[in-house]
Amino acid sequence: MSEPATFLGDPRGYVAEMTRAEQGVAGFVVTLMALLFYGLVTGGLGPAYFLYLVGLVGMYILLSFGLNVQWGYTGLINFSVAAFFGLGAYGTALLTADSSPLAGGFNPLVGLVLGLVLAAVLAVIIGIPTLRLRTDYLAIASLGLAEVVRLLMLNERWLTNGSAGLRGIPGFFEGWPFLATFPQTMPGLRFEQFEVGIPGIWTTRVLGFTLGQSFWQALLNVFVVAVFVGVVYLLLRHVHQSPWGRVLRTIRSDDDLAEALGKNTYAFKMQSFVLGSVIMALAGVFYAHLNLFVSPGDLEPINTFYVWIAVILGGSGSNRGAMFGGFVIIAIQEGTRFLGGALPDTFPVDLPSLLSIIESTYATVVGNFASTRLLAVGIIIILVMRWRPEGVLPPQRELIWPSALADADVPGREAAREAKVTDNNNETGSVHDPDELDDVTEDASDESSEDAPSSGDDVQANGGSTDRGPAGDNDAGGPGDDAPSKGGGRDE
Amino acid sequence: MSDAEPSDATDSETDSGGVTVPDADADVELDAVSESADMVDVPLKVRDLRKTFGGITAVDNAGFEIKKGSMTGLIGPNGAGKSTTFNCITGTYTPDSGVVEFNGEDITGLEPYEVAERGLVRTFQIARELSEMTVLENMMVAPMHQRGEALWRSVFARNDVNKQEEEILERAWETLEFFDIEHLANEYAGNLSGGQRKLLEMARALLTDPDMLLLDEPFAGVNPTLEERLLEHIHELRNQGYTFLIVEHDMDLIMENCEKVIVMHQGRILTEGTPEDVRNNEDVIEAYLGGEV
Repeated sequence: MSEPATFLGDPRGYVAEMTRAEQGVAGFVVTLMALLFYGLVTGGLGPAYFLYLVGLVGMYILLSFGLNVQWGYTGLINFSVAAFFGLGAYGTALLTADSSPLAGGFNPLVGLVLGLVLAAVLAVIIGIPTLRLRTDYLAIASLGLAEVVRLLMLNERWLTNGSAGLRGIPGFFEGWPFLATFPQTMPGLRFEQFEVGIPGIWTTRVLGFTLGQSFWQALLNVFVVAVFVGVVYLLLRHVHQSPWGRVLRTIRSDDDLAEALGKNTYAFKMQSFVLGSVIMALAGVFYAHLNLFVSPGDLEPINTFYVWIAVILGGSGSNRGAMFGGFVIIAIQEGTRFLGGALPDTFPVDLPSLLSIIESTYATVVGNFASTRLLAVGIIIILVMRWRPEGVLPPQRELIWPSALADADVPGREAAREAKVTDNNNETGSVHDPDELDDVTEDASDESSEDAPSSGDDVQANGGSTDRGPAGDNDAGGPGDDAPSKGGGRDE
Repeated sequence: MSDAEPSDATDSETDSGGVTVPDADADVELDAVSESADMVDVPLKVRDLRKTFGGITAVDNAGFEIKKGSMTGLIGPNGAGKSTTFNCITGTYTPDSGVVEFNGEDITGLEPYEVAERGLVRTFQIARELSEMTVLENMMVAPMHQRGEALWRSVFARNDVNKQEEEILERAWETLEFFDIEHLANEYAGNLSGGQRKLLEMARALLTDPDMLLLDEPFAGVNPTLEERLLEHIHELRNQGYTFLIVEHDMDLIMENCEKVIVMHQGRILTEGTPEDVRNNEDVIEAYLGGEV
């Protein structure tokens, strides 16, 4: 086997080593990026608005991460994503906004802390009675909780300003040195408009916009959300592979088994529930400082279900899947706005009057394109459930605990090791294929182990940086005479 | 195998917070329960256990004692209350009255995980494998009080956690080798055959480092060859000092392998004693042949 290809060193090998799903996702993302770039260059999409969308994607990724911790890792059904999101948003807004009926004017960092603490406290309060019971009870309780929180925000005017919402929320960096005034101090960059194309055949106008204060502000916001997403992603990837995450996965598959093995499932569920809720609140905090206005409308239940769709679509339990899901949700929400404008208003082909129903349906759909997004979401969910119920990027490749793979090379276990090594190019996406189950027989040895993801793939999927550390230590710390063969197992 | 390990292993034993690490020189032999030398002779005592479901009394004043290092069979026809007794002992059900004592401590009504923490570990009738994890990962879940199970430690004390992970991994491999399923280590548990799952189930229970194992119908749906293998393993473990309580349907199997047999019928303990005694007991014959009691 060879070293896993890197994206920069060997792009073709890198793509070849991906599963088909990963290639599809990569293709989808690249296509969308190209479209966005086209929109940016031709002026159809304002740069500041584009960055705002990127911020929204980041927000949805955070929400998906939070739900993924609860549902994907532990199997907790939480239908009050919007409530925890709202607590984060209102928590920071109440402390920082000008129009806040409460204090107002605090540093957003204080608001951040309050938002997260509120969410954690609420998670504990709702968790105490429900987490000891089966997951259904949490589902029911959280369904009600979401509405309770929303109605509180709507009706307690003295506290939340009611349906008028909270205005005048400062940007996240308000009160910081340099960053607070960064948008004002940056110069406006003017990109002159000019024409490109093939002379006489086709021309188009490109550029012709100014990168002003709003652009720099949006850039800052993207920076904030990128940091949030990055930190949360690294943290989650790590804890998911840790013994802690292993117990959560055990609880998700089999609650009773976890108990029988001496795990205090209640405590683990509570930790997972609180951690997920705090991440959702973090998304809310970011949203408040992105949008600079929050209202009870942001807590509508539909937002909860968008996040659920993102997690299910991406693949429950998979952090990469959650990212992809968040991306798709925004693509649908915002893409439907543009698509409506891009399509011709009437059906492009003249049909006989017998088929006029097609024309009229088309006109209706195009005329109301924005409201077809729920239809789009529904269709996507049906397709995913039918063809890929485990989600687009299921977690199998991320899940394997890195040190375990390194240690599979311990001597006396050659069979397992060789199977793993020769298995390099195997399509790992097939592990969950039901057909494979029949092939495994009682005396399955080398052959059946081929389904195990190879170490090379896994290191690559993990990005390898932090998690190679323990694996490497492990090799070095092993018995001396075995070290060469172990190293060889991975590197040859 | 490595001979350089023992010093390491003893070192870590002191700081590994409850997870006992076996000496690495044990080839396929698992470390017996020798550390608990101060353990009482009769680890499990059940007295006057009673459990009702609505109007039905599933267990009616059942009481028995299990000797240390013994292998005891709990048999009885369907509906005799075996499983309910079992569940009352392991904390899955809370008994209406009665006392369950383990190693001199009253464990009645504790949560299942608290019972397991005290060294009384059960297996399930239908093997419960974690199908989306590899066999090795399945095994690594089992050791109790892992340091990395604390969220903060898994983030901030990674070296600490890693060190223990290596020890656990070594033990997992040893246990897999003991059960001759190490070639399956990297297989997803969902791909195992029924018999392999049974082996995995018992191997995993062993990794929790129990004093006593409660096996719930370990031979149900197992072919004769594998049954033989499982029995061999159980006998070997018993010789190493583990105590077993086995709930079984198959009377012959229990009679041949256990030194003591407890027979339940209609929620009561019908009789207990050596297989010979039980075999010749008229009540038992009646119960199994459907006579009036």
